[in-house]
Amino acid sequence: MNEMSKNENIDIQIYNFAYLDENTKRMIRRALLKALCIPGYQVPFSSREMPMPYGWGTGGIQVTSACLIPKDVLKVIDQGADDTTNAVSIRKFFQKTANIAVTEKTSDASLIQTRHRIPETKLKEKQILVYQVPIPEPLRFLEPRETETRKMHALSEYGLMYVKLYEDIAKHGHIETAYAYPVKTNGNYVTDPSPIPKFDNPKMNNSPAIQLFGAGREQRIYAIPPYTNVKSLDFEDYPFEAMKANFKCSICGSSDSYLDEIIVSDDGKRSYICSDTDYCKEQTKLNSKKDDQL
Amino acid sequence: MENYPFSENSINSSIAFRSLLNATSYPGRSFQINKLKKPSVLSNAAATILITLCDNESNVYLTKEYNTEEVRNWLIFNTGAIISNKKNADFVIGTWKSLLPLNEFKTGVPEYPERSATLIIEETKYKKVKCNIDGPGIKNKLNIDLPNPELFIENNNLYPLGLDFYFTNDLEILSIPRSTKINVINSEY
Repeated sequence: MNEMSKNENIDIQIYNFAYLDENTKRMIRRALLKALCIPGYQVPFSSREMPMPYGWGTGGIQVTSACLIPKDVLKVIDQGADDTTNAVSIRKFFQKTANIAVTEKTSDASLIQTRHRIPETKLKEKQILVYQVPIPEPLRFLEPRETETRKMHALSEYGLMYVKLYEDIAKHGHIETAYAYPVKTNGNYVTDPSPIPKFDNPKMNNSPAIQLFGAGREQRIYAIPPYTNVKSLDFEDYPFEAMKANFKCSICGSSDSYLDEIIVSDDGKRSYICSDTDYCKEQTKLNSKKDDQL
Repeated sequence: MENYPFSENSINSSIAFRSLLNATSYPGRSFQINKLKKPSVLSNAAATILITLCDNESNVYLTKEYNTEEVRNWLIFNTGAIISNKKNADFVIGTWKSLLPLNEFKTGVPEYPERSATLIIEETKYKKVKCNIDGPGIKNKLNIDLPNPELFIENNNLYPLGLDFYFTNDLEILSIPRSTKINVINSEY
């Protein structure tokens, strides 16, 4: 009762800290810990309805909500950009419900929620990267039955996936899969890296950061602990290759970051810019410093 | 309000969980947790794990030393957890000796490896064997002391099935999940 009277003059708290109720968080937290103990294995969880449609990152938001602490600094990116609709609304959502600090700088963030990219800036220990995942099951397009894919994972029976990659080579001369490129986690489970470009796949391997994956509609949570072996599937004679458009960013001039193609005129002229807006800004700053020195 | 384990439930449970998340992510390294209101026989760290993770779907097995009225009442009142036997337990709390043999605890099934027990080992008075650990979450091999390393090696051999361990010591927590590989370096053992 004391607490109640103390808070009389303060705004009544509308939401629990970071939106989700404590019981839901407990359920998600148990799933997250088991997911970390079994890297790459998809732990079922009873996903909640969130105040936004499926496909907008409801899985990622639930994981973020269960992980956030008051002193976290949150960064949200959508395809590498901090200023797209999805990123802005998720960032605002947690500012409102958890009252936490936000940033666009990768190096300042303690928790990063991402849709379809891994930041170019190297992540550090104890940073948490939360992925939004549409289809967590890498075998789903090859085998629609959950009972079967579950058995395939249990038996490490991944022949079908290799056949798919082989058929790519037979048809196109190379592996056509350019995003959501399947990986093997800790030498055991084949895992969907979420629809990140395969350019980002090597960043998952042996990362010092904690990588958590949430699929809201499909009700799955999985994780890749830090310093875990993550190998992109390939063949001895067709080794995995991280690819990107072979151009330079037309804003910062970087040639080693992942690029988005944009059409700049009616007659189809193209230009390429960094997909990671924070990285692009940093590079531009570095360039202007160099110019000053000259 | 003053009898609740956490003064500000939502905030303190999130901070407690972050320690658990870090400990599970970086096995073999010790992480700090905060004090809370708990039965005297439980350590702060063990009480934190139970309060942060258990609800009315959790089966908790308490070994003899911890199966007191105080612990049971505290746990059931605050979490709604079910006091269970060894075989069905999701969470187990006890001293190392009283937990043995480990083969009665559930290790999951191939289709659902997560349906396995989490063991919380209170006290540190067991016979220590110097070990070298490696695996997910461990950057360079770490040296730590473990009781009966052969049991941890056996547990790791079941991977992806197996038990997950937390060692608790007052305000410290350290995890050895099933994915951790163990090498004994003490040749006398």
